[in-house]
Amino acid sequence: MRVTKCRLQSLKAPLKPRTSDIHPTPYSWINTCTPGSSTGNLAGISIAIKDNISYDIAPTSCSSSMLKDYNSPYIATCVQNLIAEGAHIAGQTKMDEFGMGSQTTHLPPFYTPVHNSASPSPGEPPRSAGGSSGGSAAAVAEGSCWAALGTDTGGSVRLPASYCGVVGLKPSYGMISRRGVIAYADSLDCVGVLGRDIDTVEHVFNVISRPDEGDMTCASSSIRLTAFDISQRHLPHDGIEGLRIGIPSEIKQKVSSGLLDYLRGQGAKVEEVSLPSIKKALPAYYVLACAEASSNLGRFGGGWFGSPLERQSRIEGESGEERRKRIRTEGFGREVKKRILAGTWALSADEFNNTYLKALHLRQLLRKDYQNMFRIPHPLFSPSIPQNQAGVDIILHPTAIRTAPVLGAKEAKGSNEYQQDLLTVPASLAGLPCISVPAGKGQDGWPLGVSLTSQWGMEGLVLRLGRAVEQWSKGQ
Amino acid sequence: MIILSRWGFARPISLSSCSYSLRRYASKAKAIEGENEWETIIGLEIHAQLKTGRKLFSPASTSYGEVPNTNVNLHDAAFPGTLPVLDLHAVRLSLITALALNCQINRRSTFDRKHYFYHDIPASYQITQHYNPLARNGKLQISQGENNAKRTFDVGIHQLQIEQDTAKSQTVGDNTLVDLNRAGTGLMEIVTEPDMRSAEEAGAFVRKLQGLLRRLGSGDGDMEKGNLRVDVNVSVHRYGTPFGTRCEIKNINSVRFLQAAIESERRRHIQHYLTSPTTPIKQETRGLNELTLETFSLRSKEEAMDYRYMPDSNLPAVVIDPEYLSGLRNELPEMPWQVVKRLTDTYGVQKRDVETLIGLDEYGFEGIRYYEDVIGQGVDKKIAKKAMNWIVHELLGQIGKLSIPWSPTLIPSSLMREMILLIEDGRITGTTGKSIIKHLISAPAPSSSKKVTLQDVLLNLGIDINENNESSIDIKMLCQQAIGNQPKSVADYKKGNEKVIMRLIGEVMKLSKGTADARKVKEELVELLKA
Repeated sequence: MRVTKCRLQSLKAPLKPRTSDIHPTPYSWINTCTPGSSTGNLAGISIAIKDNISYDIAPTSCSSSMLKDYNSPYIATCVQNLIAEGAHIAGQTKMDEFGMGSQTTHLPPFYTPVHNSASPSPGEPPRSAGGSSGGSAAAVAEGSCWAALGTDTGGSVRLPASYCGVVGLKPSYGMISRRGVIAYADSLDCVGVLGRDIDTVEHVFNVISRPDEGDMTCASSSIRLTAFDISQRHLPHDGIEGLRIGIPSEIKQKVSSGLLDYLRGQGAKVEEVSLPSIKKALPAYYVLACAEASSNLGRFGGGWFGSPLERQSRIEGESGEERRKRIRTEGFGREVKKRILAGTWALSADEFNNTYLKALHLRQLLRKDYQNMFRIPHPLFSPSIPQNQAGVDIILHPTAIRTAPVLGAKEAKGSNEYQQDLLTVPASLAGLPCISVPAGKGQDGWPLGVSLTSQWGMEGLVLRLGRAVEQWSKGQ
Repeated sequence: MIILSRWGFARPISLSSCSYSLRRYASKAKAIEGENEWETIIGLEIHAQLKTGRKLFSPASTSYGEVPNTNVNLHDAAFPGTLPVLDLHAVRLSLITALALNCQINRRSTFDRKHYFYHDIPASYQITQHYNPLARNGKLQISQGENNAKRTFDVGIHQLQIEQDTAKSQTVGDNTLVDLNRAGTGLMEIVTEPDMRSAEEAGAFVRKLQGLLRRLGSGDGDMEKGNLRVDVNVSVHRYGTPFGTRCEIKNINSVRFLQAAIESERRRHIQHYLTSPTTPIKQETRGLNELTLETFSLRSKEEAMDYRYMPDSNLPAVVIDPEYLSGLRNELPEMPWQVVKRLTDTYGVQKRDVETLIGLDEYGFEGIRYYEDVIGQGVDKKIAKKAMNWIVHELLGQIGKLSIPWSPTLIPSSLMREMILLIEDGRITGTTGKSIIKHLISAPAPSSSKKVTLQDVLLNLGIDINENNESSIDIKMLCQQAIGNQPKSVADYKKGNEKVIMRLIGEVMKLSKGTADARKVKEELVELLKA
């Protein structure tokens, strides 16, 4: 089997990640320590982590000048779990600064760019790896690590996975501890897993998906048990027999009819569904993510965390407040500053009710839409809530509106961006598990992915359907 | 800026060193003409540190007066990626405090972030409860006479919320030094309704709250150490007219300063309205100059910050199970004012004395328990009153002189009880009782292996108990001896100066080495002198 072979290859002769001051590389830091001989589920396996996941021997910079050479004094829980199972941390991967962006192009000037390695033919102009976990996706695609951790706030794992032709899982909110993950927007941030195939992703996910007393939003054992029981009841005995797949009518982009025919052939039912609040909910995402970012990023520039820039003392005649303004002005990139300002505005006394609170309300409406649509009950809610017996189990749509864009190409703003966010943001707002699986190529020969979204805690279900999509892709 | 509104910058002068100035300036405050036409409206905002031993959202321990930056967890310093983990013990303590304040507990309360940039807050936000506080709508009754309050009334509690304390920051020369030891300590913020009308009433509320916190064990209420801090809102208006504009005075370090601040503010407002009756007073935040006892402007309302309150997504809502809550309600201990009422009503003892017993241990009521152990069950008022005298006046008086701290084991309650009963039966004298106490408190602590009995003590002191309920010494003989020793006193007495009998009683006491019963001695002397 291809999967097994691949894993054995990576075990025997892993490709060495490369870093460079001149050439494009997905890595911001390479772990030169040789992995210790160890046992465990991930013994000897190389896994890369995104530059916003704390690791004590690496400079965890969030690809920001603000945190350049910041050495975290502790290790994120998810990385601890990897190491405990014998994994070797291959390095840290580049990202859009603090996770803000979708092409891994919002990088500090001292970083070389990240190139998408999924090119169908040599000599093509370099394309984007997507973002913000572009470094992680590119590292997996080029084969320099077996899997990589990313983070996903509004699509930051799934979009790069689609562009780079790899599998990217954003689990349900609260499945993987966020302790040690440098926050962008706490209510949306999820640690995600990128890998060559479903098996790899599932393998890594099973290692890091566990309760953590250090993160109060991380699901407890009892909730996980409930979710597991529910998923066992709804998981088909064999393959995807009887699974109900919904195609949201609000999304214009359609997956290939060949894939749908294949899934029907495997016993799944495909039907159209509607998420009436999905379009209204989109602006809510920008408000909430920016508001939370403005709060979370407030700590930088106070001089606490030991990055040389952040620690700079006052210039002669400068007040403490002026120093903070200067450090923040110099330390944050354009996109980050833009979002901090937008978020600050949304939280201001005059705007709060009309902006932030409305966003919360719209998010709630979207969640209700999803709950009404699913046949599977939500493990976090009382089982007394009647479920829609005619509902679907999984929603399916393309991950991206297009293949990876050429780097540096002028993007048509507006409608395109909006259409793209419609494909990734809703699952983030609702905290639902969503996986992007490679599903064929675009007309330009570059990879395309499809997204599968299910009820909270139903990772098993999205992985099951993901496997079917993977099978179909192999036949292409 | 926010600098002066934050707690913890160095105070210019210590409390003890400014008493002279206080007196001098305090006397300067003259009565204002027509002062009685004005009413003062006072509301309080109180921050009380929760006595949990650890910080609200991190496992670092709380401390006072330790080496700066030694009790700091990465979360207290807001390191990237750190997350808050709520201490449920802090929630429990806040809940019992809210229950004792007769508050309605919100079934679901949430945490919010209050944003501002300053050195004392590394995350640039404080975690507090802005939108859904833990509790609302409580009240605490102040009785007439408490802290010289002139009426009995309720102080409404607007809300009680849980929040984080800030770090301490201090400007030294050109630098700002920050100590994170206090950062993240759990606080209860208690906001009262504007129900107080005088400095005394506000002082009474704070003192009563201090006792409540200590009794519940939810706080130490120590203003000197800054673990209880008070901001006060004051407005003044003429009776029958609408309320005036309020000013807030921050950073008050004692009840005395609280009262001084209110007084100063009251006078300032009246003076303002007298000199310019048409312009409202400026709404502002003020501080108290502890030297002059005058308030001064810190910042005006226009400079107020926008704190951009936002729900904190890292913390789940606190949902209180009604069963858990009723359990807590049932476990509430007897409050200081309740025990005062019970003991004064039941035994007719003095309020002041009960308060002295409470003062021995405001947390566990060891003093009250000791007293109740001594008097036992179903006692009559007489024994209860006597026991109060023996404990509060004799025992505490004697150990006070020797600067010995009180402890319930100093004189075991059973021993004390036995002694008081013997005295009441007239089998030993009061003077003997005093000697027993003196002996017991000066004797080395008894080894736990051997229990000291009253018999041992009496044996030690060479005193016999009169089994026949009469003194073993011959009072008559001693009285005769005294009369013989003091002919002048006898002559004076016979001339009609009956007071000199005290001299003769004294002589008998001396002769009996203090074992004689003074009452009986007097009777005997009167009898003998009649002859």
